Amino acid sequence: MSPYILAILLFSLGLGTTITFSSTHWLLAWVGLEINTLAMLPLMAQNHHPRAVEAATKYFLIQASGAAVLLFAGVINAWLTGQWDIHQAAHPLPIAIITLALSLKLGLAPLHSWLPEVFQGLNLTTNLILATWQKLAPLALMLQIQPPHSSLLIFLGLMSTLGGGWGGLNQTQLRKILAYSSTAQLGWMILVVQFSPSLTTLAILVYVVTTSATFLTLKLNKATNINMLAISWAKAPALMALTPLVLLSLAGLPPMTGFMPKWLILQELSKQGLPATATITALTALLSLYYYLRLTYAMTLTMFPNNITSTPPWRLPSAQLTLPLAILALAAISLLPLTPAAMALVAL
Amino acid sequence: MTPILFAFSSAFTLGLTGLVFHRVHLLSALLCLEGMMLSLYIALSTWSLGMGSASSSALPLFLLAISACEAGAGLAILVATARTHGTDRLQSLNLLQW
Repeated sequence: MSPYILAILLFSLGLGTTITFSSTHWLLAWVGLEINTLAMLPLMAQNHHPRAVEAATKYFLIQASGAAVLLFAGVINAWLTGQWDIHQAAHPLPIAIITLALSLKLGLAPLHSWLPEVFQGLNLTTNLILATWQKLAPLALMLQIQPPHSSLLIFLGLMSTLGGGWGGLNQTQLRKILAYSSTAQLGWMILVVQFSPSLTTLAILVYVVTTSATFLTLKLNKATNINMLAISWAKAPALMALTPLVLLSLAGLPPMTGFMPKWLILQELSKQGLPATATITALTALLSLYYYLRLTYAMTLTMFPNNITSTPPWRLPSAQLTLPLAILALAAISLLPLTPAAMALVAL
Repeated sequence: MTPILFAFSSAFTLGLTGLVFHRVHLLSALLCLEGMMLSLYIALSTWSLGMGSASSSALPLFLLAISACEAGAGLAILVATARTHGTDRLQSLNLLQW
């Protein structure tokens, strides 16, 4: 792809999210989401092979219908209440429709089936954009709306942590595992969005850091399934010693950064008098933990019985910059002591 | 519920139902999306007419412009799918299951 066109597309990606961030009018929020989708499509389909085009088709259909439903709810809201403002208290019906449309765009269960398939068709760089930057605009809208009533969001959150954990269990494809992991993590964010939006912001920040580190590691190893991870220790041994920690951070185990949002979210849920919800969420996190641990096991904790000459792949010099990966992996592992500072940063 | 509200809501719902349940051709999915957008256009223009506010009278045209872009992207994807899969039937989009 020509660098000029790539620059235009990347700028449009940034522009769409920025428009959605700064809008107070539903039509403008919709315009931002549409610009985002339209800029993403050429990036997805740039390698003209069937899998990429199929992923782009599925992404287009889902995002276009989600955005149309969002705008429909905005119009209904305007007809019923006479105003377009996002922040103002709105009619409960449009707000419920908007919540569902945004969860379709984000890939929350039970509307998440498109996410693994779209991830599976794309290369790891595009996946990185899709898993981080493309989640920001819908999540920003989700933060701004007044929740209709708490049971819808709690249902979506619980289904997402459960479905994200369950779907990844028997998966050997890393991109699908990461898609399910994205669904599960977004479920945590949605659970707490009505009680403490700043915690949702914290959770998405931590998620972006940890998942970027994971995707950049996979990209460095050019690994798309578990078998390719099994010989990656021969390529970059030091990185392979760090990667299990990044994965366990994504799973939310205590000394790592990923524990921070889960800890605070469980605390907030208990404070709101929802101990049963908090317990179920914590238990569904075990399902996700299983597949992260399986990746860890295949990557580092065991050595497969290959003969020694076939194990090391060619050591071709990689063109990828390693500095972002180093910073992100370090942040994904060791930022837990900064919890008070992070809370002060995102306090709304 | 006013008749106009009922009319565009049912038009939109019909388009969405077609998109969700009638999954045969990609072209028909794109047509359903376009029908949804046109019902939203009707809704926006009648809303700004009923409100009588000059500031919101440009909104339907913005909507139409963006949805035209979206339809263009959809048709481009239709062409790309026809080139890679040899057909526009949605049944053939089954490569990504593994």
